Formats: sequence, C-alpha cells, structure tokens
Amino acid sequence: MDTIIAGAIYTLIAIGFNLIYRVTKFFNIAHGVFIVLGGYTVLLLHNTLGLGLLPGVTAGVLLVGVAGMLADKAVFGVLRRKRAPGVIMLVASLGILWALQALIALVFGTGFRRLSGMGEIPETYEIFGAVVTEIQVAIMAAGISVTALLALIINKTRFGMAVKAIGDDEEVARIIGIDTDKIIGWVFFIGSAIAGLGGILIGFDVGLLPAMGMMLLLKGITASIIGGAGNIYGGALGAYLLGLVENTGAVAFSGGWRDASAFGLLIIFLLFRPRGILGT
Amino acid sequence: MDYLIHIAIYFTIFSITGMSLNLIVGYTGLFSITHASFYGIGAYTTALLLTRLGAGFLMSVALGVLATFVAALLAGAILSRFSGDYFAIVSLGFSTIVFAVLLNWQDLTRGGQGIFGVPRPSLFGCRPASNPDFLMLSTAFFGAVFLICRFIVNSSFGRVLKAIREDEEAVRIFGYNTAYYKLAVFVTGSMMAAVAGSLYASYIGYIDPSVSGVNESVFMFVIIILGGLGSLCGPLLGALFLILLPEGLRYLGLPVIVSAKIQEFIYGTALTALMLCRPQGLAGKYKP
Repeated sequence: MDTIIAGAIYTLIAIGFNLIYRVTKFFNIAHGVFIVLGGYTVLLLHNTLGLGLLPGVTAGVLLVGVAGMLADKAVFGVLRRKRAPGVIMLVASLGILWALQALIALVFGTGFRRLSGMGEIPETYEIFGAVVTEIQVAIMAAGISVTALLALIINKTRFGMAVKAIGDDEEVARIIGIDTDKIIGWVFFIGSAIAGLGGILIGFDVGLLPAMGMMLLLKGITASIIGGAGNIYGGALGAYLLGLVENTGAVAFSGGWRDASAFGLLIIFLLFRPRGILGT
Repeated sequence: MDYLIHIAIYFTIFSITGMSLNLIVGYTGLFSITHASFYGIGAYTTALLLTRLGAGFLMSVALGVLATFVAALLAGAILSRFSGDYFAIVSLGFSTIVFAVLLNWQDLTRGGQGIFGVPRPSLFGCRPASNPDFLMLSTAFFGAVFLICRFIVNSSFGRVLKAIREDEEAVRIFGYNTAYYKLAVFVTGSMMAAVAGSLYASYIGYIDPSVSGVNESVFMFVIIILGGLGSLCGPLLGALFLILLPEGLRYLGLPVIVSAKIQEFIYGTALTALMLCRPQGLAGKYKP
C-alpha cells in the first residue's frame, strides 16, 4: 500500500515535470519549490486565514499555477529567446528554487508544519486488508484522475496538439502559426499547478518542510526518466516503479536508504536504458 | 586580528573548493552538483583517522584524498558518460547517495550526531596549531592548489579540456578519448575538494553529514558562477564575496536562522539573475 501511495505522489510530481520537459527540453529544478509552495499556500489560506477546505485547496492550486507561469514569463521565456542551452536554464531554475525556498522559510519558519490538525485521528478505510487514511485515498484518486485528465487534454484537444507540436519542434510549430510562448506559458501553469496539488496532499498526509522540495523533485525526475522523459504515461509508470523499489529498499535495509535506492535505480536506468521504459 | 585570520582561513578553504570545481565546470563544461560529496568524504576520512586512530595530520589528509580518489573514480566512471544537463542531474543524484551513506552508516560516521573533537595539527613542536599557524598551513595548501590548477589549465591536457567544453563531439572525432579526459579532471578536482574538506574538519573541529549535502554543493556552485567560470581568479572573487556577505549581514543584528535564509535568498536570486544577464559570471571567460 505504501508503494501505491508513494507512486501516486511521485506521479503528481513527475507528470507536471514531464509535461514541462516535453515542450522546453530542460530540467526545471524550480518545479520542486512549486510543490512546497502549494502546501504552504494552503497552510496560509486554509489553516491560518480560515478559508474553507475546497476553496482553499482550489486557490492554492491555481496560485501555484500562476507562479509557474510567471517564472516562465520572467526567466525561462527570456532565456528561451536567447537560445540558452539546457544547463543555463537548469541553473537558473535552481536559483529560483533556492530563493523561493528561503523565502518560504522566512515567512513560515523552518520547522515542520502539518495541514491537518495535530491531534486529530484521521478517518480510516480498509482496502484489500490494508488500512489507509482518508487523505491517502484522496492521494491515490488524485494520482489516477490527474493522469487520466492530462492524457485526455494532451490527446484530444487543440491545446494538446499544439503542446505535442512544440515538443517535437518549437521552430516549426511557431512557423505554422502556433503562439508558442502562450502555449508554453499554459504548460507551466498546468505543470506547476499539478505539483502544487501534490504538495498540498503531502501537507495533509505527512506534513511540510520548506527544504523538502529538492528531494521530492529528484524523485519526480527519477520517475520521469525511468518511465521515459517527456512521456505522460511514462511519468506515471516510472512513479509507481520508483515507489516499489524505494519501499523494497527501505524494507530490505532500513528507512534511511530509501532515497539512496531511488537514485541507484536512476543511475542504473541512465546507464542501460537512458530513454526510460516508454521512451522513444 | 583573530577575526581577520578566521576570515582568511575560511577564504583559503572556500577558494580551494571553488578553484577545483572550476576545473570541472568552468574549464571542462561538466556541471557537477556533487562537489560537496568529495569535500565531505575527505573531511570524514581525515576526521575519523585523527579521532579514532590518532594518525598524523598530513597522513590523515593524504588518506582522505586517497579515499576521495576511489570514490570519485567510481562516480566519475558513471558520470563521464554523460554531458550537459544529464550530467547535472546524475551528479545531483550521486550527492544524495553520499549524504545517505554518511548519515546512515552509523557505526562508522556516528550518523547525524557528527564527529566532535577533531584535533588541530601540531606542526611546530608539540602544541596544537593556533589560528595563525593554521592560516599558514591552509595558505600553503591554497597556494599549491592554485599552482596545480594553473599548471593544468595551461598544459596541453588543459587545452583538451577546454576543447571538450566547446565541442565534445569534434574532439572525439579528432581521436581523443573524451570520457577519459572528463574522468581525469573530475577525479583531480574532487581530490582537491577533499583537501579543503580535511582542512575544514580540522579547523572547526566538528563535522556532520550536512557538509556533504546538496545545499553545500549548490553553494560551491554559486561560488564559481558568481566569481566567473573558466578563469583562475574568478573562484577567489566568488569565495571572497560569499564569505563577506554573511559577515555583512551579521551587522544587521538579525537572528542567525533569519540571516541564513536571507543569504540563501540572495544566492538563489543572484544565480538566476546571472543566468539571465551574464551566464559566465562576474570575471568569467566561459559562457555555457
């Protein structure tokens, strides 16, 4: 059960990351801080300011989407027009992660925060003999429904076709009349918003730390590379596989080796199958 | 005066990490975000030898460098097959593995508690080195690393590195085994970082796994990007700035944790701003 929950969380991180990678072809490290930003936005709106649960979460997801879009307009779009190589974009996004992470720590403190009340005993369900909490059911549902929804958008809408076209060749896409900057802006909105949702769910399930973004993002990147970078289903598939390997590693050795076994898997894949399971 | 000596020792240690990372990033174009791992391996090996076995200082540093040589060779054998952003991501992954090992190998490293009471070297006679003594020692290492770096970048080996940075494919077509060159510079730079780590462990007297954390690696990255990629003096400029910034912030009288976060905010913003306006850094010669 831990595997499926971890897999669903990584799915939410990986598919947004993968979507952005698909059109921009760079590793957006800043994606990690948008996960965290989602959690803390809800902390502010829902827990501190007392906004209802649903409006609070919705506002949190949308605000993170806007933040992602702004990052694209202010930084990545500018670099794209300069034709900066991938590493420059990567370092720039690393800077955004660091700066925003520090800002979150300045506002909310560096300590551990939870979105659900500390003392509350969460309502639990039994699925296939395993006990799961309400929020973990929500995580699993979100993992599946967001993947399905995104697949629908990418495969069935004009927007999705434009995204694919830009992913294949941005230059050609622009020539045939696609407003690439606008589409990429929305890709950042959607990708970041999904990351924000992931962060919110993590906040309800285990809790939030300002510095947790980098590690979560590395998991997301690992999932998307082993699944197939730029492939939506690949991200989800990689996420569940990663969840499985990690939890096996944690059981076989001890919990502390969870992260290390994840990157061991990443390195093995990069050496022997760098395009991932579903990569082309 | 003691304060200035403290700053100067920090400067020499940070400069060694900066200069060595610059060999890898600035001269060869390999965006390694795992430099602190080798700094940490050097620091831990030296600290363990000094505290557990009571080995001599120079001996401990030498063995720290040797241990890092082995680790860097293993990591580099994998890393030298990648370039560009994949290199950056794999190196980031590697740095989390080293961090996990230092944190979880409790029997050897004492995990998160860290290692206390790492002694200073006793260079002249029996007394442990005072701060001025230590400054002389670290300056000697600093000078040696500077000269080695200058020798490397001006040698024919260094010219191949710069050529790989500009166009690896072309260099390979000319018959150079680029993976070998990438591995060699990666291992050399990492061994220098181990020297810096050893000095740090002995100077401060305490280390914990966070010395090898991702944040430290990014911090070292900021040193060279800020100072300038592909120039000998760039990292010195970057190290100076990154030492003076927290000292300057101290005069504002903020709580330590707040000023640490303000620093991180400034580093992050500077990194992004430099990428937008001047990707080669302040005094840099290499524009990725």
